[in-house]
Amino acid sequence: MKTIWRYVRKYWLFALLASAFMVAEVFVDLLQPDMMARIVNEGILGIGNNGVSDLPLILSTGLRMLLVVIAGGLFGFLSGMFANITGYSCANDLRKGCFSRIMYFSFGQTDRFTTGSLITRITNDVDQVRSLIMQMIRGLVRCAMFFVGGTMALLRLDLSFGVIVACALPLILIDIIFVVWRTNPLFLLLQQCLDRLNSMIQEDVTGIRVIKAFVQEESEEKRFARANQDLVNTQFNVQMMLSFLRPVMNIVLNLAVVGILYVGSVQVRDGSLAPGSVMAAITYISQILNGMMMLAMIFQTISRGATSAKRLEEVLLTEAELHEEIPAADELPAGEDRSPEAVADRNAAAPASETESPAKPGTVVFEHVCFSYGADDGQTPPGKGNREILHDINLSIRPGETFAIIGSTGCGKTSLVNLIPRFYDATQGRVLVNGRDVREYPPEELRERVTVCLQKSELFSTTIRDNIIAGRADASEEEMVRAAESAQAHGFILEQPQGYDTPVAERGMSLSGGQRQRVAIARALLKGGDVMIFDDSTSALDLRTEAALYTALRKDYEGVTKIFIAQRIASVRSADRIAVMDGGRILGVGSHEKLMKFNRVYREIYDSQMREEEQE
Amino acid sequence: MSTTVQSSSVARQGFRRGGRMNPGAPVEKPKDGKKTFGRMLAWFRPEWGYVLCLALAVLLAVGASVVGPSLQSSAIDKMVTREFDKIPRFLGLMLLAYLANGIATLLQGFFSARLSQRVIFRLRAQLFQKVIGLPIPWLDNHSHGDVMSRMTNDAENVSNVISSSLSSLFSGVLMLIGTVVMMLRYSPALTGLTCVTVVLSVVLTRVMTRIMRRYYLRRQQLLGTLNGIVEEKVSACRTVTAYNLQKQAITEFDSASDELTKTGISADIIGNAMGPLMNMLNNLSFVIVAAFGAWFALRGSISVGVISAFIIYSKQFSRPVNELAQLYGQIQTAVAGAERIFEILDAESEDRSGESTLPVTEGTVEFSHVNFSYVPGKQIIHDFNLRVEAGKKIALVGSTGSGKTTIVNLLMRFYPLDSGSICVDGVDIRDISCDVLRDSIGIVLQDTVLFTDTLRNNLKYADHSIPDRSMLEAAQSANCDRIADALPEGYDTVLTGAGANLSQGQRQLVTIGRAFLSYPKILILDEATSSVDTRTEREIQNAMTELMRDRTSLIIAHCLSTIRDADQIIVMDQGHIMETGTHDELLEKQGYYYRLYMTQFAGQET
Repeated sequence: MKTIWRYVRKYWLFALLASAFMVAEVFVDLLQPDMMARIVNEGILGIGNNGVSDLPLILSTGLRMLLVVIAGGLFGFLSGMFANITGYSCANDLRKGCFSRIMYFSFGQTDRFTTGSLITRITNDVDQVRSLIMQMIRGLVRCAMFFVGGTMALLRLDLSFGVIVACALPLILIDIIFVVWRTNPLFLLLQQCLDRLNSMIQEDVTGIRVIKAFVQEESEEKRFARANQDLVNTQFNVQMMLSFLRPVMNIVLNLAVVGILYVGSVQVRDGSLAPGSVMAAITYISQILNGMMMLAMIFQTISRGATSAKRLEEVLLTEAELHEEIPAADELPAGEDRSPEAVADRNAAAPASETESPAKPGTVVFEHVCFSYGADDGQTPPGKGNREILHDINLSIRPGETFAIIGSTGCGKTSLVNLIPRFYDATQGRVLVNGRDVREYPPEELRERVTVCLQKSELFSTTIRDNIIAGRADASEEEMVRAAESAQAHGFILEQPQGYDTPVAERGMSLSGGQRQRVAIARALLKGGDVMIFDDSTSALDLRTEAALYTALRKDYEGVTKIFIAQRIASVRSADRIAVMDGGRILGVGSHEKLMKFNRVYREIYDSQMREEEQE
Repeated sequence: MSTTVQSSSVARQGFRRGGRMNPGAPVEKPKDGKKTFGRMLAWFRPEWGYVLCLALAVLLAVGASVVGPSLQSSAIDKMVTREFDKIPRFLGLMLLAYLANGIATLLQGFFSARLSQRVIFRLRAQLFQKVIGLPIPWLDNHSHGDVMSRMTNDAENVSNVISSSLSSLFSGVLMLIGTVVMMLRYSPALTGLTCVTVVLSVVLTRVMTRIMRRYYLRRQQLLGTLNGIVEEKVSACRTVTAYNLQKQAITEFDSASDELTKTGISADIIGNAMGPLMNMLNNLSFVIVAAFGAWFALRGSISVGVISAFIIYSKQFSRPVNELAQLYGQIQTAVAGAERIFEILDAESEDRSGESTLPVTEGTVEFSHVNFSYVPGKQIIHDFNLRVEAGKKIALVGSTGSGKTTIVNLLMRFYPLDSGSICVDGVDIRDISCDVLRDSIGIVLQDTVLFTDTLRNNLKYADHSIPDRSMLEAAQSANCDRIADALPEGYDTVLTGAGANLSQGQRQLVTIGRAFLSYPKILILDEATSSVDTRTEREIQNAMTELMRDRTSLIIAHCLSTIRDADQIIVMDQGHIMETGTHDELLEKQGYYYRLYMTQFAGQET
């Protein structure tokens, strides 16, 4: 909560004004019953005037009440206005603060929060906190004011009314606390049930073909019925708990009214109180208890808001993992893989010492790199709690080289290249780009130099043109077209209804998977840099297009270091060097011919794809 | 005094999950409200017992709260006339009335909750059953987001209205009638004056609503924009980071957020003015009752106690009036939602019929003169003829958009043919019931859909009673055993729908294992191994050859090495068959297939 209040403090003046006007509104509301009592007592019954009615007094008091009413309305309006300004402004600041935080999160941090949860935090949780703030500066003040002011007014009429307040109040509070205490966990459960049901619907609607293909309609219905029943039961319980609140409150309230009438009638008989004052007392007590009733709602908002506030704080207090110390050299582990094959291959990679001197743009060097996901949260020691994905990787990629990485599913290819633009940090060892440790770069500069075309081609919902120039907004038309041509995208883009200005619809409804990939490749090519990484980004392209793309890349981007991840020998065989990976290790590096001779795994991959060709 | 604690519906809304309905929030207009409302009422027909009980409870509650103030009025009159000994009798009656009111309200809550939950349960189940049974073309024509929102948002909206608004409406109307009757009995003149404020508040609400609607609409749009930005930028955060787009994203977000804030403040300043304004009007009626009541009392036409009763009645009277306007809006929105729900319920279900319920035994498939188009006029498949003998392995190759997947969709009876016929074991598939047809075909689709369930249940999706031994075997053939080994709880690990714990290639392996386990007569693999490395692919292929010895398999692939040993390769382009033959035959021909093949293995464009 502390962090949130820092945001509110900035608008303290508005918050104060909102509270002050709320106090004024309630004060004015509390004046009314007293004035009415005067009308009845002195105006009608003529108490204090020997039983002679006083019409002018009735009229003048009525007029004064009218003025008071108008003033009350005005105060209420002003209070609402200032509360809104405070709430919305704080929410705005919070939202912006969280968003800019999230944008600079490392991939590891985003993974931990999950994108879905981050989205809910920025949208839903911010809104909850806004209600919380507004309830705090208005609702609570209103409640307290009605309680304190009402009780004082009531006691001023007659001290014995205090007994009734003292009796009714605990009952109401117990009722509220009981209901809030019982429903709060239910609300959590309700949310879970609802989430479960909704995700089941989503899953089944998207997976409808699978359900139909496996003729599982009935079992899905049963599965759904269970979730549905759970939700309905929970919802019923919540509604039941809540419907207790109102009748019990009403009973207590009306008991209090009867009590006031009884005590009042005794006082009237004794002559210490006038009937009009009894009427005023009834209005006061209902105002007091109604104020208490609002507490139930306010509690609810507060408890929900507090949960949301905590979730926002988690985001706000997460420091972007950017500048960390570089581990000292003596911490570097010794290589563990000493098989003859691995040793031979390691010699193929450039020796690490070469990199100490300033290197030409486009070199990438891995020195004793180990990596495991989730190790950077400081909770699990590296290599122990989490499965290590990369083991002692040593690799040197030369400027301008076309370097391919091949290996089986899940062997760590993507993890390896993700370390180059510092999407994740190596758990041990270091990665150097242009001879400099990636952790020494300002992240922006590093990502200027290293361009990645991701496995999943995420396009933004703007035009194709804006998507391509996303990485370099100042590119000229020719540069953009050239990039699109190299990416084999120019042709189909011109066939789109509005060419480059065709909007990319949500989830790429307008473009096919292969087309989206080519737009993403064009975006990467246009951005350029010393090193370009293509992480299996041609998987949806048909063979001919892919081949044309590779040819174009070699021709048009000669000076740039190109790193490919690919599945097919055909895609990698013409690369300058190929790294073969398996189980988080590099088994060999070399040209196609060399690997064919010396590397068993590469030969196996080759055989699985090309076996017959060699025989022809 | 029945100070029936401030507006029930407001209280309940406060508790409702996020569903804060502002007066003046955009109200959707249903197209044919009357008819839809009538159909909504039909949902209650099986629950008439609960409806009756609810009505009785409401009647009792309203009756008690209408009688209460008149008793209070008598008590005060006795104070004025100093007949103190008569007061306790009235107080006792009051206690009784309010106790009855409390109990009746409690019952009302119970019955209304029961009733609504029963109706909603049935509605949701019915809707789900319907959606699952809809034909694929219908689902193609409606965005998944739209269908989802009907099943979740609209159903919830309708359910909220059923649970709270309808009984509030009923009790509001009753309360209005009862109060007016009581007020008229005491003093028609004062009743008329009290009505002035009610009329004023109705007029005010209407005017304010009209002003607010514009702001709320604008705010809704801005909120949509903002959420869109958040969703896009956060889920694509990798791209944003990789391209150094953070600053740009933040600027875009900030300006949208600022604008929303500005509009939000103006919308809510006006919206929140409603509260104080209504409060003012309530106080105004208080003043009217006090001042004019005093004047009437002076002239002797009413007693002082009547003033106190009127103070309560005027409140009891104006509350439902204010609520009714809001309720009307809520109900309209819900009816519009119900209309969208009925649209689904009224859609025609998939035709799954077929006389033949005999299981497929051979596995021969024959396409003859098949023509097909998803959208009329844009033909996808042209005069497609193909005969697949039982137990053969057939491969479909061709560039993206050549119609390979469509052929599979047609065989599964996901879409109706334009003309021609498809026969399985010599029987037209339109004559085979969908259950039998689909049961005998195992399919691995292009998009790897897994369910949020354990790995075990995902593999056993076709039939949960399959013994574990068979599952382990199939898992091994599909290389899923390695996946299970790497997962923390092995086969009992719950896979998340988004598949965060599996890579794309691993997901494909699971879907293959799932298809193996359905022991189909015909197996279809549609680009099933595109994200699997070729060595693993080869292993799966070997396993498949074993598994599919006497069965028919149909393979779609763009990696030609996987289909080399197919009995027949069909090369497709733009819905036509270009070439057919075995690998060697096609290579000899030096045609379309040859060019594709050379491209792939030379790694260069030819």
